[in-house]
Amino acid sequence: MDWRRFGFIALIIAILFSVMVLIGRVQTSPIVIVTSMMATTIAVATPLTLGALSGIFCERAGVVNIGIEGMMLAAAFFGWLASIYLNHVYKFAPLPSLIGGVVAAVLTGGLFALLHALLSVTFKVDQIIGGTVINILAVGITGFLNRQLFFEEGSIFGGDVPHAPGTLPRIAIPILADFPVVGRIFDQQPITFAAILLVMVTHFVLFYTRWGLRTRAVGEHPRAADTVGISVERVRYMNVVIGGLMAGLGGAYFTLESVSSFEPLMTNGRGFISLAAMIFGNWTPFGAWAAALIFGAAQALQINMQFFREVIPPQLAILQISYVVGLAPYILTMIILTGIVGKTVPPAADGQPYEK
Amino acid sequence: MKISRVLLAVLLTMALILSACGPQAPDCSKPEVFCVGLVTDVGKIDDKSFNQSTWDGVKQAEKELGAIVNYIETTDAKDYDKNIATFVDAGYDVIVTVGFGLGEASIAAAKKYPNVYFIGVDQFQAWAVDDDPTNDLPNLAGLIFPEDQAGFLVGALAAMMTKTGKIGGVFGTDAVPPVWRFGEGYRAGALYINPNVEIFIVYHNDVGFDKTFTDPEWGAQTANSMVDKGVDVIFGGGGKTGNGAVIAAAQRGIYAIGVDTDQYYTLPEAASRLLTSAMKLLTPGTFELIKFAKDDQAGVGAFPAGNYLGKCGYAPFHELENEVPAEVKAKMEEINRMLLDGTLQTNVLPAKPSE
Repeated sequence: MDWRRFGFIALIIAILFSVMVLIGRVQTSPIVIVTSMMATTIAVATPLTLGALSGIFCERAGVVNIGIEGMMLAAAFFGWLASIYLNHVYKFAPLPSLIGGVVAAVLTGGLFALLHALLSVTFKVDQIIGGTVINILAVGITGFLNRQLFFEEGSIFGGDVPHAPGTLPRIAIPILADFPVVGRIFDQQPITFAAILLVMVTHFVLFYTRWGLRTRAVGEHPRAADTVGISVERVRYMNVVIGGLMAGLGGAYFTLESVSSFEPLMTNGRGFISLAAMIFGNWTPFGAWAAALIFGAAQALQINMQFFREVIPPQLAILQISYVVGLAPYILTMIILTGIVGKTVPPAADGQPYEK
Repeated sequence: MKISRVLLAVLLTMALILSACGPQAPDCSKPEVFCVGLVTDVGKIDDKSFNQSTWDGVKQAEKELGAIVNYIETTDAKDYDKNIATFVDAGYDVIVTVGFGLGEASIAAAKKYPNVYFIGVDQFQAWAVDDDPTNDLPNLAGLIFPEDQAGFLVGALAAMMTKTGKIGGVFGTDAVPPVWRFGEGYRAGALYINPNVEIFIVYHNDVGFDKTFTDPEWGAQTANSMVDKGVDVIFGGGGKTGNGAVIAAAQRGIYAIGVDTDQYYTLPEAASRLLTSAMKLLTPGTFELIKFAKDDQAGVGAFPAGNYLGKCGYAPFHELENEVPAEVKAKMEEINRMLLDGTLQTNVLPAKPSE
C-alpha cells in the first residue's frame, strides 16, 4: 500500500473535521460534532466505496467500466421493485423482503456487467462506448418501468404510491458500539458494514491469492498471461461480473438502506465520483476507500457548515458558499493526478481489448 | 409472422389515433356552455397531491358554477402544448394547468389563444411584475402561494412540539424563492414561539438545479445528521430531496413535517410519524380563479390576470392527533387566523437577498 498517499488522505479528512469543530464548538460540543460528522462521512462513502471496488475489479483485469453509474441506478430500481413485490404481492415480512431486494439488486448489477463484458470482451467494442450504453440503458429502463408500473392506468398498485417495506435496520456491534465517539462507527446499517468488509476482502483477493495475481497479470500484460495458459477472456468476464455485483450492492444502498423510495436518476452521478475515488486511491481497495471517505467528509462538512452559519467567523465566510466546500474533493483529485503525492499508475492494459 | 407484424402495426396505429381523441364535449364551443379543462403535470389526476387538489377545485366549479369539466393526464413533458391545444380545439373557456413545469407552455398558449382563460397553478408570472406592458397577458393568471406563512405555521408547531429545543429543516436550493420562503418562514415561526429554540436549516445548494430537488439520499443523510445532534422535529421542503428527509426522520422515530399537500397520503413510509404538512390550499384558489373567469366572461367582474395569491395552511395531525396537546392545537388555530387576517406578519422577504 502507498503509505504516503494514505497519510495525505488522512490529513485532509482530519483538516475537514477540525475546521468544523473549531467553528461549531461555540454552539455544540466537539464530541457531538465529530460523532455526527463521522456518521455522515461513513454513510455517504458507502456507495462510493462499492462503486470504486467495482471499478477496481474491472480495471485491474484491463476493462474500463464507466457504466458503474448505470449499474447502480438499475440495481437501485430493481432491488426496490423486488422488495415491494415480495412485501405486497407475496406477503413476505419487511425484513425478508428487504434482503430479497438486496439480492435482486446485486444480481441486477451482475447482469448489466455481463452485458458490459459481452460488449467489451467478446465483441471488443470500445469500452467507453460499452459503458455509455449501460448508463443510457439504465436511465431508460428504470424511468420507463417506474412510470409503467406505478403511475399508469392498470398498474399493479393502481397508481397508488407504493408503500415500500422500509429500510435495512441499523446494527450495533456489541461492546464496540458503546464506546464514545468511535462507537458510532460500529452502529451502522448492514450495507455500510458490508462495504468496509469488502474493502478488506478485495485487498486480500487482489494481492494474496492466485486469482488476484492472474487478474493483475491480465490487466498489466494480457499476452504474457495468455502465454502461460491463463484464459484472458475468462478472467475478464469473471472480474467484470464481480465488479457488477459490487456496483449492484452500491445501488441497493440508495433504495434499501438510505431512503425507501426510488427516484429517476437518483444516483446523481455518484457512480462517476466512485471512479474518481478509484483513481484517487491508485486502483487499490484501501486507497479508494480512503478517497471515498474524503468525499463523504466533504459532504458532512457542507451540511454542518450550514448548521453553524450564525457562528462562522467572517474570515471563513467563503466556506459558507456550498460550492466551495463541495469542490474540494475534485480539486484534490486533480492535485493527486499531478503526482505530488506519489505517481498514479493505471493498469498497463487498461481499456485495451485483447486480440490473440 | 408477416401477418402478425402487419396486425401489430395496425393495432398500434389505431391505439395512437384513439389515444389522441381526448375528451368528448362537443357543446363547449357554444357560448352559453361554460367548460373548464385541466391539464396535469406528468402524473395521474388522483395523485393525492398537486393534480388531485387542483382537480377538486375544478370539480367544485362543476357543482357550484354548473361548468362542464374534464381533464387530460400528461404522460410526457413534450405533450404539454398538445394537451392544452386539445382543450382549446374543443372550445373550452378555461384551461387550468397544474404545476411549475407547465409555466412556459401556459404563457405560450395564453399568447396564442387570447380568447381562452388560463390558470397556471404554482406558476409565478414574471411579466406581471416587470415594467414592460407589451408582454402583459390579460387572459393568464398564475396561482401562487405565501409559502412563508405555511412555513411559519409548521415552524411554530415544531417549536411547540420539540422536547430537545432543537428543530431542523431540509430544503432544495434557496435560489428558488418559494423554497427560501418555506425555509425562512419556518425559522420565523419557530422564533415567534420560542426565541431560544435552536434551528438547523440546510439548503441543498451544492448541486445544480437539475439535482437539487431529486436527491432523496442527500435529504436522508442531512436529516440523519440532524438527528445525531439532538434534533427531534424535521421539516422537509423541496421535492424528492425533502421527501428523503421526511422519510429518514420518520425512520429515526422523530417528528416529520411534509410540504405542499397533505403528505400523509403521498409518503406512506412516514405516515406514522408525520406531524403535519405545510400546505398550499390549491382547491379554493383554483375555484376562485375559475369563478373570476366566469364573471369576467359574463361582464360582471374582472379576471385577475398576473399573479393571484392563494392561501396556505397546515394539514391534520392524523395518527399523531393524540400526541398534540389541546393548547398547542388552539395556538395553531390562533396563529393561522392571525396570519390570514393580517394581524400577524411573517416578515420574510419574497426572495433571498443577494449578497
